[in-house]
Amino acid sequence: MIRVHLSGQLQDVTGGMGEVDLDSAADLEAMVTELESSYPGLGRRIVDDQGKIRTYVNVFVNKENSKELDRERTKLRDGDVVHVLPSVAGG
Amino acid sequence: MSSPRSQEARGQLAKKRNRIALMVGTKKGAFVFTTDSGRKRWKSSGPYFRGREIYHVNYDGRNGTMLASVISNHWGPTVAISKDLGATWTESKTPPKFPKGSGLSVERVWHIEPGLEDEPGVVYAGVAPACLFRSEDGGRSWEVNGALMNHKTRKKWNPGAGGLCLHTILLYPHKPKRMHIAISAVGTLMTDDDGRSWKFLNKNVLADFQPDKYPEYGQCVHKLAVNPSRPDVIFHQNHCGVYRSDDAGENWVDIRNNLPSRFGFPVAADFNDPRRAYVVPLEGDFARVPPNGHFAVWGTDNSGKEWFKLDDGLPTKSYFTVLRDGMTTDKEDPCGVYLGTTTGQLYSSPNHGNHWSMVADGLPPILSVSVSAI
Repeated sequence: MIRVHLSGQLQDVTGGMGEVDLDSAADLEAMVTELESSYPGLGRRIVDDQGKIRTYVNVFVNKENSKELDRERTKLRDGDVVHVLPSVAGG
Repeated sequence: MSSPRSQEARGQLAKKRNRIALMVGTKKGAFVFTTDSGRKRWKSSGPYFRGREIYHVNYDGRNGTMLASVISNHWGPTVAISKDLGATWTESKTPPKFPKGSGLSVERVWHIEPGLEDEPGVVYAGVAPACLFRSEDGGRSWEVNGALMNHKTRKKWNPGAGGLCLHTILLYPHKPKRMHIAISAVGTLMTDDDGRSWKFLNKNVLADFQPDKYPEYGQCVHKLAVNPSRPDVIFHQNHCGVYRSDDAGENWVDIRNNLPSRFGFPVAADFNDPRRAYVVPLEGDFARVPPNGHFAVWGTDNSGKEWFKLDDGLPTKSYFTVLRDGMTTDKEDPCGVYLGTTTGQLYSSPNHGNHWSMVADGLPPILSVSVSAI
């Protein structure tokens, strides 16, 4: 199982759920596809039209920023914990 | 006012309905102001989408829905639809999105334009990076215009300061396969085959920031406006001048004449008098402030041969700026003119700019103002 923690701003898409458990996902790209399938609108908030993690979104795998790992191709394993959080941005 | 279609449709609605909605997109949310046909007292609602950028809100008079361009710095852009004048909103099931492999990703929706009366459900959206999307289900799902996305010159298109944005969409009931679009800084394009092909219409339009001063494309068009009773006459505010075309954009003539500056962003056409148009001059590219610190709308009633200042009721000393979608006109008689500033002031004139009254102050920076009978 993979546990995905979602920023509060994303919970309008999940009906208020801050945590989503997935049976499995090979990598972050597959995780986003699965999230979009279960909660329409959630995946496209995390990645852009080309499937890239948005500039001001950080996805952590076991507290490691995926932008310092293999980005969307970062592998996931059973028991991994993912956090999807907004980065510091805006004005 | 941007589209002859919408002008006509809203004009018909205005005869049947006696309320008017002013839709304001800001850096921090959307606001809706409503009034009766007297246009003196306004009731406000909002902000909707608190904290998010709303680039444009428009009203689809065919089905009574509002459509909004909603942008989150973090979570990306989308389109939202309201059936109750903004009280509740539903996000597009499939917002405008470029196909995988195109290398393009929608950054923001700049303009939303409902389609013609006889094509219910059709809505268009102009986005950055510059492209056109079409919906056939009232904005719930969208499809990219392939001819524009794959245009042979696309790799040479350059953005203006606001990005490579498609910000103007003009539709024509008398020629339903025709459409004008405007892209900054690419220029004006037209299709006569329902979007299957596009041609540039930038003849005589200056681009003095280019080595070739009059190129086929690469002009920085800021906004276009048309009166539906003369659909071949287009008013054009450009980075490098104010223009008018009398032949649907095939040729442009400079109509700056006695304006204090050639530079500005919005242009709006008067619904009742096709010779009448409005602009908001700024000093210039490198000083985007009102000339001499005196903000004013300038109008013409002879198609740009002469211009006159319309500042009664506006502050005598002010450094207001109005963005390209920050001024519009209604379909009433006399024609109402509305503007919103980047410092959050919203003004209306119920008598084609002769006198202005403040509708609201202290709003977030205003990105767009739209008006419709409801």
